[in-house]
Amino acid sequence: MSTRPIVAASPEALQIVTFDATMEARIAELLPRYPTRRAAILPLLWLCQERFGWISPGVVRAVAARLGESPAFVEGVVSFYTMYQTAPPARYVLQVCTTISCAWCGGRELVAHLKERLGISFGEKTPDGVFQLVGVQCLGACGQAPVIQINDDYYENLDIAKLDAILDELAGRS
Amino acid sequence: MPKLTIDGHEVEVAAGTNLIEAARAAGVAIPYFCYHPYLTVVGQCRICMVEIAGQPRLALGCATPAADGMVVKVETSERAREAREAVMEFLLANHPLDCPVCDQAGECLLQDHSMREQGSEFATHMTETRRTFPGYERRLIGPHVVQNQNRCIHCSRCIRFTREISGTAALTYKSRGNSTFIDTFDGSAFDDPMSACAADVCPVGALTVREFRFRKRSWKLLSTPSVCPGCSIGCNIFIDHHERVVYRFTPRENPAINATWLCDHGRFLAEPLNEQAYLDPQHRTGGQTIRVGWGEALAGIAAELKDASGLRVVASANLSNEELFLARELFGRHLKGEIAVPVAPGEPRKMRNGKGEWLHATDPHANSAGARRLGLDLVDGEGLSRFLYGGAGLTLILDPGAHPFLASPEALQLLRVGTTVVWARREHPAAHAATWLLPTPSLAGNEGTFTSSAGAVQRFAQAFAAPGTVHRTATGAMSPSCPTIAVPWGPPGEARPLWLTLAALARELGVPPLDLASPADVFALMARKDKAFAGLAWETLGGLQQDESFRERQHVG
Repeated sequence: MSTRPIVAASPEALQIVTFDATMEARIAELLPRYPTRRAAILPLLWLCQERFGWISPGVVRAVAARLGESPAFVEGVVSFYTMYQTAPPARYVLQVCTTISCAWCGGRELVAHLKERLGISFGEKTPDGVFQLVGVQCLGACGQAPVIQINDDYYENLDIAKLDAILDELAGRS
Repeated sequence: MPKLTIDGHEVEVAAGTNLIEAARAAGVAIPYFCYHPYLTVVGQCRICMVEIAGQPRLALGCATPAADGMVVKVETSERAREAREAVMEFLLANHPLDCPVCDQAGECLLQDHSMREQGSEFATHMTETRRTFPGYERRLIGPHVVQNQNRCIHCSRCIRFTREISGTAALTYKSRGNSTFIDTFDGSAFDDPMSACAADVCPVGALTVREFRFRKRSWKLLSTPSVCPGCSIGCNIFIDHHERVVYRFTPRENPAINATWLCDHGRFLAEPLNEQAYLDPQHRTGGQTIRVGWGEALAGIAAELKDASGLRVVASANLSNEELFLARELFGRHLKGEIAVPVAPGEPRKMRNGKGEWLHATDPHANSAGARRLGLDLVDGEGLSRFLYGGAGLTLILDPGAHPFLASPEALQLLRVGTTVVWARREHPAAHAATWLLPTPSLAGNEGTFTSSAGAVQRFAQAFAAPGTVHRTATGAMSPSCPTIAVPWGPPGEARPLWLTLAALARELGVPPLDLASPADVFALMARKDKAFAGLAWETLGGLQQDESFRERQHVG
């Protein structure tokens, strides 16, 4: 499995955001699926996160303008959901399930190992910007516990050895 | 029209009326925090739960329309009372116990309800410490609004206000659950032309008006119904004052004009009402300025008026209808003088009425429409300049604030040529050019009517009534007007309203029909003589005849 790294645009690059033709084409595809423009806010934000790596205030402004909403409203929505990144993320965001099934099946040990190996806590990034550790609630894959979601991919039935191999591979690619 | 029974009181209300308003009409108070008559109903705070006969579950007073034959229990329902108690426990779990140092105290819906229903009986199951929002406890969220997030009960009134009324949608909830707080986009200033209304609608002390904070306890204030002097829209306001100091303007409900809103421009014209540069009539003669009594001043001016070779009167679109009418009758009709009403261009202003429509104005004067209806000559700056260049033995300036041109060196030179009488309150160059200077009080020390740009003739009451006179304000009980100039009058020093000096001048000049005792009498005469005011009665103008329940509705948060 090859997880694609996140390529986060710099805060400077995202101060003023305009959507190019490719983005506009995808937005045009998106909007008719919803009864109101406002209702397209979540998918449009996803589109932006996919494209820019994270949601900067500049992205919020652009989304608000595109949907005819106020920037405050869009920012409120972004802040409600934990999966929108509001700061440039690392290349690989390790989203470790901390809910009960995973925790029982070795998740706690994985968390302890990750914290030790990477030298960071939940919510932090490694100084080289490669890994970011996030504790999340149930990923809905209890049958394959313990589970870690790295960017958009699930890594299941993990143990410390498997996890180390994955991290070595991802770190090596960086 | 549905007829229903609320706590044993039968009431008939218009179709679509919700239970909170129906109960209000029946004299029963259903408590609420998030409901506001001019905002969308969201049913968030849950305190308005009532019991409806035949319905197994409690219903929300804000979101339930009155229906024919409904039997509603509020105070008389044990289940509703228990529900309210539970809601209060939730809300107070995290609400700081800082009422003694909170500036909202006295006009806080949460405090009011807590005291009314719970008194000291309150008990809580909470053992955790209170939630706090470090850094958001005393934050200037905008130029006029201070935020204390610890006190917020998450009613969303402020957010709905910016989305539905001011239209900026500048406020939002950030984060979620227990951490939810009110914020602007990216921490930017809450820059909204009606920003202080967000503090008005805040039922608690989470948003307060910076300019008013800690200046006066709200229960000390008297509220006098008045009309905003900020532009020609004519928003209805209360002047909130104590011991002859004006502390603030608050919006007074008028569905046709300002619903329950007020723009920041108008609201912060309150503080300047306390300026009173001139306290006594003055006479400038032989290079000397001497203070004189009103008797001497009026006699002197009457003599000038009798002898004048040519009379020019610069009136003002800031004056009341009664003052403009008296000026027209006395100086125009009887003394054959020329009268001009200068009007200046102003900033664009807008206000949202109770139907959600915008009203617009670019006229900075409260009463241009009144001057026009009285058939007076409205002139712009150029016209005013021509008017003054016309030259006259005697020039009267009824309000130096009528037009910026009156402060120009050019105008002052013209005023110095002949004899000039100036009525003034605030420091103004024209006052220094006056032969006679007569002190006038602010809007708070006067009473009368303004005509709004849409044609509504609206009354403003005297805030600083004479001692010993009946003076309960917001109920519309008006102070009997002062019959003569010698009786102690509310305004500071010897300042007297213009209408009163004009009536006194009429007496000096032997024009008895204009020697009137009150603005009400002037209005009655005006209504008889002028078609524009025909059929209008002083007593029923501008919502001042409203009862106490109306007043209660004024401070909806």
